[in-house]
Amino acid sequence: MILPLSYNLRNLAVRRTTTLMTALGIGLTVAVLAASFALVDGLRLALEASGHPLHVLVTRKGADSELVSNFERRVFNDLKFKPGIARNAKGEPLASLEVVTAINLASIEFPEGANVTVRGVTPIGVELRDDARLVEGRWFTPGRREATVGRLIAQRYPEARPGRKLRFGRGEWEVVGVYDSPQMARNSEILVDLNQVAADFGREEVLSSALLRATDEVAHQALINELEADPRLNVRARSEKEYYAQQTSSGDLIRYLGTVVAAIMAVGSCFAAMNTMYAAVARRSREIGTLRVLGYSRAAILASFLLESLLLAALGGVLGILLVLPVNGLTTGIGSFTTFTEIAFQLRITPQTMAASLVFALLMGGAGGLLPAWQAARKEILTALREG
Amino acid sequence: MTDDVVIQARRLTKEYIRDEFHIVALKDVDLDVRRGEYLALMGPSGSGKSTLLHLIAAMDRPTSGAIRVLGADLAAMPDPEMARWRNRHIGFVFQTFNLIPVLTALENVELPLKLTHLKKGERMEHAVTALKLVGLGDRLHHYPRQLSGGQEQRVAIARAIVTDPDIILCDEPTGNLDARSANEVLELLRQLNRDYGKTIVMVTHDPHAARFASHIRYIDKGELLPEGRKPEDWS
Amino acid sequence: MKYLPLVWKNAWRNRRRTLLTISSLAVSLCLLGVMMALYYALFIGGQPTKSQTRRVVVRHKVSLTFPMPLHYREKIAQVPGVEEVMVMQWFGGVYKDSRDQRNFFARMAAEADKLFRIYQDYRISDAEKEAFIRDPAGCVVNRVLAERHGFRVGDRILIKGDIFPFDLDLTVRGIYSSDELDDETLWFNWKYLENMLRNSPRLAAGTFLVLVRSEEEVPAVCRAIDAMFANSEAPTKSEGEFTFGMSFLSFLGNVKVILMSICFAVTFTVLLITANTMAMSVRERVREVGILRTLGFQKTAVVGLILGESALIAIAGGAIGVLLAQGLCFVIRQGPLIVQQTKTLAIEPPVLAALMVVSLLVGVLSSVAPAVSAARQNIVDALRFTD
Repeated sequence: MILPLSYNLRNLAVRRTTTLMTALGIGLTVAVLAASFALVDGLRLALEASGHPLHVLVTRKGADSELVSNFERRVFNDLKFKPGIARNAKGEPLASLEVVTAINLASIEFPEGANVTVRGVTPIGVELRDDARLVEGRWFTPGRREATVGRLIAQRYPEARPGRKLRFGRGEWEVVGVYDSPQMARNSEILVDLNQVAADFGREEVLSSALLRATDEVAHQALINELEADPRLNVRARSEKEYYAQQTSSGDLIRYLGTVVAAIMAVGSCFAAMNTMYAAVARRSREIGTLRVLGYSRAAILASFLLESLLLAALGGVLGILLVLPVNGLTTGIGSFTTFTEIAFQLRITPQTMAASLVFALLMGGAGGLLPAWQAARKEILTALREG
Repeated sequence: MTDDVVIQARRLTKEYIRDEFHIVALKDVDLDVRRGEYLALMGPSGSGKSTLLHLIAAMDRPTSGAIRVLGADLAAMPDPEMARWRNRHIGFVFQTFNLIPVLTALENVELPLKLTHLKKGERMEHAVTALKLVGLGDRLHHYPRQLSGGQEQRVAIARAIVTDPDIILCDEPTGNLDARSANEVLELLRQLNRDYGKTIVMVTHDPHAARFASHIRYIDKGELLPEGRKPEDWS
Repeated sequence: MKYLPLVWKNAWRNRRRTLLTISSLAVSLCLLGVMMALYYALFIGGQPTKSQTRRVVVRHKVSLTFPMPLHYREKIAQVPGVEEVMVMQWFGGVYKDSRDQRNFFARMAAEADKLFRIYQDYRISDAEKEAFIRDPAGCVVNRVLAERHGFRVGDRILIKGDIFPFDLDLTVRGIYSSDELDDETLWFNWKYLENMLRNSPRLAAGTFLVLVRSEEEVPAVCRAIDAMFANSEAPTKSEGEFTFGMSFLSFLGNVKVILMSICFAVTFTVLLITANTMAMSVRERVREVGILRTLGFQKTAVVGLILGESALIAIAGGAIGVLLAQGLCFVIRQGPLIVQQTKTLAIEPPVLAALMVVSLLVGVLSSVAPAVSAARQNIVDALRFTD
């Protein structure tokens, strides 16, 4: 024999102030957890959406990132005619020699400045980024000191908007356009002419990396295997997708902080839920006695109070998710420990985060409700009737 | 108003709204209580006798009419002064004792004295005296739950008299007591009236309790009946 | 004061509830304390250590990753107020397995003979110092780092190069500790880079570390250095070592907003918890409020009793919270070096004061509404009240 759900719902409604306060406490705890997940998921989704499935990124062996890689031009010339590399309409191999460096720009969020990736590419490099479309202006002209910037760069760095001039290397660079790529990480880069920027930094012969497009999936793996195995080249080849995926670890610290903070807050919220449920048990003591006289078992009483606590927590979970929903889509930046530059990304509340938040809330409710429910179930009928 | 009329009500009326019902609890009550009188107010449940007691104790304000107690016009008295006045002049005894459960008998009795300028030692002395007077000199450090109903009510009486008030108001003081305890409490009240000259107004619907008083007046449907008259359906 | 015993007894009336509330507050306020301590250390009251106040870091204006010509060293040395200039270079590289976070520590090249003159807080034996300066392939390791990896004098340490096209094969010549801050750094002899990069354009300075004669002269020295190179191929940015360290903070995300949001969420939660407790506890006592009022207690006295009780509970929670927070700060101090402030994290007096004020405010604010409504209630209704 189980007490109807409406019994619990009505009891929660009768004490709506207490119910709301307790639920909101749980909600805030859930919100902290969900917000930290939103940061980490936003970063992960941005990075997962980055990288072309047929692209191979080649760096110097031992280099974890392009920024610390020294990739020689002669190595590039040796590998660009390897079999398995796709060609464009003109018959040129889709292999792009690139140089990567970082400059410090003041952003809206960090006025003291953050590091931003500057990438020098050739027209082939632009061709390899065929999924990027211009949202403003045009691509930089080869041989000129011009820059085309990613959408998030233009959005976050006032100095890097079209018409403005950036100062780095041996002089100024005019921003002539903004591109938007479905590959989120690409939108945090500034693209310039390879030879211009390499000359500025004295890196005409020692550049950073090569980006290759394979003809198909089979060739993609074969190409990686072949480049890795060639001792003469002494390079590291990996799928571009894998390169970005590895940077997800930059969010580890935030995930760690969010989890620890939410866990500590959960202890507090749990005690608060316990208080509320103990009060409910005390208040309804006579009711409990009456129910027992009517024939409800101890187990039914236990289940009923536990259920009420879970309902309370579920309400908190929903409130918490509602509280945190407005951050969905906000743009922020985090330093990547791989590239030593900032990756901008949008916070994302995923369905998994919502589910996890609800489970987290229910855990708090369960932990907070168990002892009071146990106390309610243990009451002797006569004592229960006399109390309250 | 002569000096020995300590409670005087004129056309005293109290109306209130409860759950959207307009209720007239007291209607045009005229009452004089003289110093040293022991008045029992009787009447059926809901007749308005407790309301009258609350108005005398300045626990509530009348809707209309005048009420003067010990010369003070209660209807016009501002709130903070009312609290002070109550503390100084009125002792109140409830049907349900209303002791503070977390305080001992002694601390409960000391409670009203905290509002006076008395020092801690003096407060203790007064409280002990009051408790001895009600015959609980050996129960000073007991908590209310460790006392019987009769003992609890005697602590409540000690609390009511510890400030040496002029008037003691009792709302069904024996309502929650067995016959023996009730008699003890009633004896105590009579003694306070006879030996210490306290004016007492007691609301009761127990005829046995009422017999301890010097006068009995009846209230029916909010109206105070003339002396000597009982409600028609009163047994 | 004479009401204090009554307030005390009221607070303990429902022992379990009060204890649960205090524990709940203590845990939450501990968290708030640590977050506030972090915020304070990072953005308000963080202080450079004593020897740090005289050190200035000169870097490339555009990016730390851009090198500066070595001949800047001589020019900087001539700036008035400069006592010493040392060339430094971040080597990076990979020690053992880069996937293990513990293997990520700073590996810096620096001029061996100047290192201990500029870092005056470093403690090392003269013999070890001499051995380090003499060995072009020698290195010194911070005590904490050495303990973590079991490095001992005479050990060889191999670092694979990534930024630089060669590997390091170093010998530990000394273990140093610091009076002020263990920086968990491995310093190796600049001569190693010189030997490996002879005639290469890569032989350049990552940063210059400058020792200034006195703290007061630091701003002027920074300005003078930056002005000197403003129109050259590599313009510079000079700042105190402490400020320089802060520039890495944005790397961790928007720390300011994150910390503030957490503080806000925790404070609000604490307010809710206390308000809930006080609402429950006052609700159970409406009748007693009626009794007190009958005995002649003023409305204000009743409000005072309830506010006092709530404040007492909140402050007890706050006090325990502070103790817990001190403990948590201790744990964080043992943790990895992220920014130098976490190594000295503690509940400083301003944070302590702020926490106690928050506790008190929470106590008062959370109970104002129930207290006033209880006191306002008509006495007769209050006496008749059943929950």
